[in-house]
Amino acid sequence: MMIRKAFWAVLLVLSVAMIVYGGFFRKFLVYDNLEKFDQLKNVGIKIKIPGYQQEGKEFKAQSEWFSEPEMVNAMTFVGIRRYKDGRLISNYPDLRMLRGRRPCPS
Amino acid sequence: MEKLRLKVQILSAVLLNLGIYQWHGICFPVLNCYSCPISVFSCPIGIIGQFTGLGLISLTAVGGIALGGLIAGRFLCGWVCPFGLVQELLYKIPYVKFSIPRWTRFVKYGVFAGLVVAVPYFFSTESPLYFCRLCPVATIESAVPWALWQGTTNAVHLALRLGILLAIVVMVMGHRRFFCKVICPLGACLSVFNRLAAIFPGRDSSCIECTICNQVCPMESSPGKRSSGVFEHTPEECIGCLECQKKCPTKAIRIWG
Repeated sequence: MMIRKAFWAVLLVLSVAMIVYGGFFRKFLVYDNLEKFDQLKNVGIKIKIPGYQQEGKEFKAQSEWFSEPEMVNAMTFVGIRRYKDGRLISNYPDLRMLRGRRPCPS
Repeated sequence: MEKLRLKVQILSAVLLNLGIYQWHGICFPVLNCYSCPISVFSCPIGIIGQFTGLGLISLTAVGGIALGGLIAGRFLCGWVCPFGLVQELLYKIPYVKFSIPRWTRFVKYGVFAGLVVAVPYFFSTESPLYFCRLCPVATIESAVPWALWQGTTNAVHLALRLGILLAIVVMVMGHRRFFCKVICPLGACLSVFNRLAAIFPGRDSSCIECTICNQVCPMESSPGKRSSGVFEHTPEECIGCLECQKKCPTKAIRIWG
């Protein structure tokens, strides 16, 4: 019985550690999907990107660190995929479009 | 106890779909689709599938299942899961009742390995075979409401989902907790931790082996063939509903394992 309780306690500590590390410390580097941005720009579709027009900055390729909970939210609406070289990239023209969205239907 | 359980199930179904807050970064280990606009927490099965599609492992989802499993095990299925409540209400509808072969309980492990992990990993989460694309809970909570609200671009797939939902409803009306026993991938994950769970029934020496616990157990596939409840013979299947405790003539069943 003691061994079972000790095993239970070890598993409990491990699971809490997984949640804490995954929820607060684990980060994923996600890149822009520039191909899509250029394609849309070339056919004359203007995309409103939060923080881009307002500040009037030049659009540049960029990457941002996403926490695991942010990844969960982003992936709900199929916002992230793997590029051919293995990098995580946004399915949207700019990865800033991934943040702060509500989920869409599966 | 049954009325208390019903109240807890209704309360948890409301609280998990309150619609006021959305904490989708937090996994709660019950099958409650987070594509539903009013859901509060995210479904760990959905997260595992989405992460697997990118070749990643979600630590919060796996940790959430492990934590929930170690504390409550499949007690969550019996007391908290909203789809468990739906199944129990459906079973009350007068319909032909039937038993199912004992081996069918292993199907859910295949569903988890195949449709939740392998399909998104080897194909993608866009595959129509991916579990979330077929899940009856997602159909009820997400696909149908969104289709009614905004229409659908894939009527064939929606029809397939509705067909699967209808088939499961028919099976659940005939066999109690059919989905939990045979299909639920989250039940498969929680069942791994079930015997270790802090909340788990057990019997003491006052048991007279009358088999009543086995006959009333909703998770027993073939009632009456065992001398004691499912919690002892197939502990991974016990959902902690405590119907065995209620019916036990000698009060030999305790809740804390």
